[in-house]
Amino acid sequence: MELNANAFGRNARKALLDKKLQGALERATERFLAHRDAAVAEFPEFEATRERASRIKRDVLDHLDTYLAHFIEEAEKRGAIVHVARDAAQAREIAARIARDEGVTLAVKSKSMASEEISLNEALQGAGVTVVESDLGEYIVQLAGETPSHIIAPAVHKTREEISRLFERHLGEPRTESIPELVGMARKHLRGKFLSAGMGVSGGNFLVADTGSVVLVTNEGNGRMGTVLPRVHLAVVGIEKVIPRMADLPTFLRLLPRSATGQAISSYVSIVTGTRRAGDPEGPDRMHILLLDCGRSAILEGKYREVLKCLRCGACLNTCPVYQSVGGHAYGWVYSGPIGAVLTPLLVGLPEAAALPDASTLCGACADVCPVKIPLPDFLLELRSDAREQGLKTPGEIAAMKGYAGVMQRAGLLEAIERIAGVLGQFFTKGKGIGGMPYPFSGWTERRDFPVPAKLPFRKQWKIKRGVTR
Amino acid sequence: MNERESLLRRLSAACGSHGSPAGEPLPGEAPMAAESDRVALFAKTFAAAGGVLLRGPVEMALSDLGEILRAEGVTALFFPEGDAAAREIAEALVPFGPFNLTTGAEVRGGSAAATAGFRTAEAAIAETGTIVETSAGGRTLLPGLVADVHVAIVPAASLVARMEEALAAISADPPRNISFLSGPSRTGDIEQTLTIGAHGPRKAIALLLG
Repeated sequence: MELNANAFGRNARKALLDKKLQGALERATERFLAHRDAAVAEFPEFEATRERASRIKRDVLDHLDTYLAHFIEEAEKRGAIVHVARDAAQAREIAARIARDEGVTLAVKSKSMASEEISLNEALQGAGVTVVESDLGEYIVQLAGETPSHIIAPAVHKTREEISRLFERHLGEPRTESIPELVGMARKHLRGKFLSAGMGVSGGNFLVADTGSVVLVTNEGNGRMGTVLPRVHLAVVGIEKVIPRMADLPTFLRLLPRSATGQAISSYVSIVTGTRRAGDPEGPDRMHILLLDCGRSAILEGKYREVLKCLRCGACLNTCPVYQSVGGHAYGWVYSGPIGAVLTPLLVGLPEAAALPDASTLCGACADVCPVKIPLPDFLLELRSDAREQGLKTPGEIAAMKGYAGVMQRAGLLEAIERIAGVLGQFFTKGKGIGGMPYPFSGWTERRDFPVPAKLPFRKQWKIKRGVTR
Repeated sequence: MNERESLLRRLSAACGSHGSPAGEPLPGEAPMAAESDRVALFAKTFAAAGGVLLRGPVEMALSDLGEILRAEGVTALFFPEGDAAAREIAEALVPFGPFNLTTGAEVRGGSAAATAGFRTAEAAIAETGTIVETSAGGRTLLPGLVADVHVAIVPAASLVARMEEALAAISADPPRNISFLSGPSRTGDIEQTLTIGAHGPRKAIALLLG
């Protein structure tokens, strides 16, 4: 996917002015959150399961070489062909070669964030393959010529009217207001694709080392169709998705759907292992597994290693006040929300995405909901510090931060400034907040309103509250 | 050195000292609330997943099942060759319809009629309301995949409490496909509105026998 992460400010402004998007985001994130909270409340073992999952993932990262080698060995033992790609260009090359060698002209694809990282569709199209996205949200986004805006709800920014117009233009279907009718239209069109496609392309939620299995979790059933019906199956998966044992899978299946959609379990979990066996009436004759490094081994080496524990559930997106306001496209690449603000700079290089770690209030909500306990706020802060060290901050920003630190270390000075701000603030107050400040503060107030400073300094208020002074 | 060896070498270097052996002891499996009655729990979780549970005696269940299938507009029934229990139920249902018997191959070719696929499940999981179907022993997955209505026949003896038990039985030498089916196919991709019947069955029915 084209990288546009450093335009976060501009992208965010556009998103904030888009009333329709604002409505959709509010509805979607609120609903996801409410369902997630209810599911967690109904599952008293959530905390213990979370701790266990976090430890399993840490063990995986400490021994990723061992587990990945084991996975490859077991998968090949059962007939799969395993490919390894160091970077996106190499991954595209391998995928295109697979498609050409297998003589594929039509592929059905289920949702895979990893495949977005490497722009897989373009690579396959370059090899003469028509690629049809089969996840309904991805299908809609593909028809519209756009990119997904949420890990688990790619078309969260689209209304039913827009979708009906798309289906009219591209599928020749009559206009309708009915969501079930729209789903029925997509079902009918995509069913034909599933039955005639030569290759099913999937991602993978988990790779099981001790059996060589790829695990797919879906609600629609598209992942299942694409891995049972076509004669070739290509799974594109990041190397960090390994779990040690099949016996560990239930732990993760108890966390992922609850965190993502608030379900106790998703409608479909497909555990696929190797090619169809002799006598099997269905299943692919050929299974290719394309493992992506694409920056992951470098992350493993450094202080942000634990970000590789991510299950891609999307819970941190839904709970993030910044994501709730600007949506996924503002982040300018595959991953959005807090996980995107950490992962994108690490995968594409901090200079290419230095704006993202700043796209956070450091409120900590993401760490509270993360099912594998990734310390996202710590990482966001650390990345800001890295950006400073790498000379990616402007002199003005550095001077301002130095000044801020100097003031915060001197109580008397802080109090004096607070008193002045309390008086001056009144001149700039518009309605509930301060806006329209003169340069150099206009850069801030153009994008947001500041709360009005209190008339009395904080320490003074504190003393009054405690009855120490009048 | 090929790309694979080079990756594993990079990972070895990146993993660090390997201070602890792989698979260090984990905290015990999260204890689950004791549930003495697996059947009662399955009834609850399967319904929560959007499934419809029918229980014997078979005669009673058949009439209910026929009614549901008619309401869904089903006119064609199919079952795997060699699945005696599924065949028996599907054939016994014919008088409750207008239902025709067809084959998986025909349905796979693209059926114009609304279909119901019958199949005996390998297991069911009470914890999650899940039907387990696999390709082990050359079994077909089509009834739970391409049919409009899926009817899973679940022998009570195959009902297990937790996911671990269902997986333990098949993970020593896993077949190509192990499917956990929990309720009907669904999507929330249009305006976050839950809609049933995205790609898989619109209705998931479990017939618990014995």
